[in-house]
Parts: sequence; C-alpha cells; structure tokens
Amino acid sequence: MSEPPTAATGIVADRRLHPTTLVSRTLRAIPEAAGGMAAYAALIARADASQIVFLVMVALALAALIAFLGWWRFRYGVGTSEIVIESGVIRRRRRVIPFERVQDIAIEQRLLARLFGTAHVRIETGGAAADEGHLDSISLADAHGLRDHIRGSHVVTDAAGGAASSSPAAEPMLFEMGFGRVLYSGLFNFSLVFVAAIFAVLQNVDEFGLWRPKDLPPDMVERVGSAWLAASLALGFAVLLLGFVAGVVRTLARDYGYKLTRAPNGFRRRRGLATLSEAVIPIRRIQVARLGNGLVMRALGWHRLDFQTLGADPKERGAQVAAPFARIDEVRPILAEAGYPDEREAGEWRRGPVLSFVRRGLAPLLAGLAMVAVALALEPLNFIAAAVLLLLAALAPLRWHRHRHALGGRAFYVRSGVLNHSIRIMPYANVQAIEVTRGPVQRLLGLATVRVDTAGAGAGGVRAVDLAAGDAAALAGRLLDLFNEHRRRRKDARGTGSVAVS
Amino acid sequence: MSDAMQPLHPNQRKLLRVRIFVFALVLVVAAAAADFALLRKTEMPWGVLSIATLLAGVAAVLVLPRRRYRAWAWRMDEDELRIASGVMIRSDTVVPFGRVQHIDVLRGPLQRSYGLASLVLHTAGTRSAAVLLPGLEAQEAERMRDHIRGKIREDLA
Repeated sequence: MSEPPTAATGIVADRRLHPTTLVSRTLRAIPEAAGGMAAYAALIARADASQIVFLVMVALALAALIAFLGWWRFRYGVGTSEIVIESGVIRRRRRVIPFERVQDIAIEQRLLARLFGTAHVRIETGGAAADEGHLDSISLADAHGLRDHIRGSHVVTDAAGGAASSSPAAEPMLFEMGFGRVLYSGLFNFSLVFVAAIFAVLQNVDEFGLWRPKDLPPDMVERVGSAWLAASLALGFAVLLLGFVAGVVRTLARDYGYKLTRAPNGFRRRRGLATLSEAVIPIRRIQVARLGNGLVMRALGWHRLDFQTLGADPKERGAQVAAPFARIDEVRPILAEAGYPDEREAGEWRRGPVLSFVRRGLAPLLAGLAMVAVALALEPLNFIAAAVLLLLAALAPLRWHRHRHALGGRAFYVRSGVLNHSIRIMPYANVQAIEVTRGPVQRLLGLATVRVDTAGAGAGGVRAVDLAAGDAAALAGRLLDLFNEHRRRRKDARGTGSVAVS
Repeated sequence: MSDAMQPLHPNQRKLLRVRIFVFALVLVVAAAAADFALLRKTEMPWGVLSIATLLAGVAAVLVLPRRRYRAWAWRMDEDELRIASGVMIRSDTVVPFGRVQHIDVLRGPLQRSYGLASLVLHTAGTRSAAVLLPGLEAQEAERMRDHIRGKIREDLA
C-alpha cells in the first residue's frame, strides 16, 4: 500500500514538448510583458510612440527568449510504470510520478492549441499541487496515447469492464446540454466582470488625462448635474443588461457542448467553446455530493449538482461540477451512478431548537442597532450599513428554519441556505473526523454545532449548526457508529470483490 | 459526553505557566521601555502603562495556565481518539484511527525539560488535517503512537 516511490528506474527523459508551445507561450506572455513595458515607458519619461513600440518589441523578444529557454530545458520520459518530468532553466527539478499514484489525467485544449492540434495534459495525483505533472503542451495524439498508456498499465479496481481500451466516444452518456440549454443557463450566471473591466479602463483613461469633467465650462457642469438622475438610471440599466450578457457569454464559453459520460473509473466531463476541456472525476475520490440552486432557478425547477472531491483543482474551489443546470430527474441518475443516495432517501429531517435564531441574529442585531445610533448621531450614510445588518438579523429565523439535517440509510444529509438552497450528501464512510464545538453564546443558550470533516472539504465541512447540546453529542456518537459500520461493510465488500488488487 | 476523559499531565500546567510568564515578561518590558522612552515626553502620567501591563501580566500568569490546562482532556477508545479543547470555543473532536494518515510525536526544548510530548494525528480532512494533543508524558505519547500505528495496520490489512 505505501511502498516508497521506486527510484527512477533508468527512464531517460528524452521527449520535448510540442514546438508550437513556443508560439502559444510567447503570445500568452505578451499582454503582461508589453503592458508592463508600456507602463514603465510612460512612467520614466514621456516617451513618444516609437519608443514605446521599441520597448514593446523588446518585451516580445524577451518573452520569446524565456519561452524558448523553458521549452529547451523541459523534458519528459515515459516508462512502463512511471513518468519522469525534468524542468527548470537554472535549478533543475526531476519529478517522478508512479502510474499507480495517478488519479486523473485531464486534457485541455485552449483556442490556440486547437489550431495547432496540441493539448495541455495535467496529471493529478491527489496529493498537493506540487506533486502534479503538467505537460503544456504535447500533440493531441500523444496526449491520448499517454492517457491510454497510463490507464492501461495500472489496474482500475472498481471498474466493471476493462479499463484499457475505452474510447470516450463509446462511453454511456449521463448528462448533456444542448446549445439552447447552455444559453438559458447563462441567464442565471449574472456576472459583473465586464462592468468591472470597463470601470478599470475608464479609470485608466482618466489617469491619462483624456477625460476630465473638471475642465468643462461651468454652465455645462450645471446641465450635466441636472441630467444626473436620468443618466444614472440609464447607467444602472446598462450595467444590469451587461451583467446578463457577461453571464451568458461566460457560460457559453465554459459550458458549450457540455457532456458528462461514464468513464471506466468515474465521470468524464467535456465542455468549452474556445477552450475545450476534458476532465475525469474519479468516483472513488468523491467525498460529498452537493445539490443546490438559487431562488429563480428553483422557481423554474432547475438544479445544480457538484461533487466535492479529494485533491480537486483549487480553481474549482474544491468542487467539481457534474451537472450545472439540470432537472431533478437528470440529476438523480448521476447520483445513483456515483453510488450516492439522492435527496429522497434522507428520511426524517431534523432541526435545532428555536433558540438558534437568537444565536444567529444576536450579533448582526446588536451591530445594526449600534449602526443606527451612529447614523443618528454622526453620519446618516451609516443607515445603509445598519439596514444590511438588520436585514441579516431578520433573516436569522429563516436560516434557522431552513437549516436541517438527516441521518439517511447510507448518508448524512445537511440542508441549508435561504435564497441559495443546498443539500449536502455525505456517505458515512467518508468521515475523517467529527467535532462538536460550542462558542460562548452557544454555551449560554445550551447549543452546540456538529461538524463532520471530510477530505478536500471547503470552508466549514458538513455542519449541523446550533443543535441542543445533548442532541449534538448524540448525533456525533451516532455518526461515529455509522462510520464504523459502513467502513467495515465497504471493506468487506472490497475484500470479496476484486482479488487482483496488488 | 464525557465518561472519564483523562486530563493532561500535571507538568503541562507548569509548562503553560512558564510560557505565559515569558510572554507576559516580554510585554511588560516592552511597555516599560515605551513608558521611559516615549510617554515621558507626553502629558500622560508616566508609569501608568507599565503598571497596568504588569498587573495584567500577573493576573494572566495566575489565571490562564489553570484555565487552559483544564480545557484539555482526552480519551483513547477502541477505535478512536477523543480530544476536548478550547477555552472560549469548546471543541470535542473524535478521530477514528482508520482515518489517521500518519502520526507525529513532538518534543520541544521546554517540553523535554518537563518530560512532556505532543501527539499530532494527521488526517486527510481539511480542518482537522492535524489534530494536536499536547501535554502527554513522553513515554505515554510514544505508547499511544505505537498503539495507533498498530490499529492503522490492522485497518489496512
């Protein structure tokens, strides 16, 4: 189980990345390098255009040189049981990844890579990010070959069929989103990223002195002032519209052609418009399933399913999306395929005592009242902060009412969220540690929180907040018993199942 | 909840006292230095800060070690270790041995002089990635480590 990684058994790292990598890396470095140079030029001397162009050229050459050095000094080699990656221009680093440690091989194609027929291969090991391998980029054929090679050489223990020669195209489809669905789902991903970008640009324009309202003649300023209300209304509307457009564009770029298929050892997710990305979510690494939706999505009957997995990409905040926008009937089969019970199997939902909303609402209520006092005495603008805090306090009863937990037959369930609902489903065998905590206010009110820690958990883990102290202790004990029982059961099943696990 | 949890070794209280004493001493010296160097030139009556810090330090040395020491308790069960800790936010953690990835026994210089050690259980969890149990008698800590290690082996077999 835990033999040390075998010393690199004479594998020669003699392969280089695809030469077009040079082009894409140089291009990728340009905005930064050129921007930096231009800013530098503008800063040190009021350089004229030709000087700036010269500096940009220098930056470009520099970026190309760095890309070349990086490419020149990067080599990799593939053996029968491990892959070796050597990198580093000055300080050499040699990384050996045994195939049996490989959890996931993600193949991603950015726009340029698609033109060149190359792909970025990410070899995930489930350990820290520092243990992962990146091949950016090799030809697509090499990427698929490498994946098949690694898959073929290490036995996939929980796969029903043979793992070696599976082609993604032949895998059973679990969930798919057509163009219309992706477009529609974009409306729910309202985003202000474009607006932020526009404001950033405007600010720069202002700094360069191209736009100075102060310079307008006084009568103009007055007229501008009278149009202020109309202008800000129009601006608000435009921002709103832009937010929707941004959401749709971003969603389309990310989720276009969304397909979730059943790979031999997990779920294979393919999506993307310009950047085609492909990732496998190995079922054995799934720790918690989360079913959720926002207010409007819920009203229209849509759901989102993601999986919290071990060693997941930090970019995805520890959660891997399985179905971003789906009907409940589409979600349930995915859960079933992962061996997870769905929300109907939760059984009896329980709630903490009413006192909980005192605990939740106390701090915002006191802070809100203090803010009201400040607003009355000093600065009326503080009424806004006071209103937010008091609203938070007012939401406390709703949050208490909504927050429930259940001990199902196979998993622990926690429900939460007032506007954004979520249901977390955690099989008992995935417990890492169980903690009962009591803060000062909770002790005063006789409350306690049960927190179940799982591997790769995001903030907080799976928590049942503000239970009666006695119930919390009982729940913790019950969870521990269920953990022991299910773990034993799972081990027995594994013991009798496959014998050929080395 | 707590059928006979074990307290830490009594020496842990002495160790905590030394630590808090050193910390308070640093603060008092810093306050005194500030008093002499800076505050003498202002209108604030000098010496007030030093005396206030000194009193707070004495109070801390008298009260805190006891409180902190009492916050800790532990119990070794058949398949799990239970640890209670926390003065303000009380916490009661259960770590099943089957989930322990590896175990450390730590002994700092101060701990060595009191014959103490800390046990650290590492799990794959996020918040409980390293569960600390300080103030164990050194041999006890090693015994516990060996016992848990045996349990892990059993679990893997």
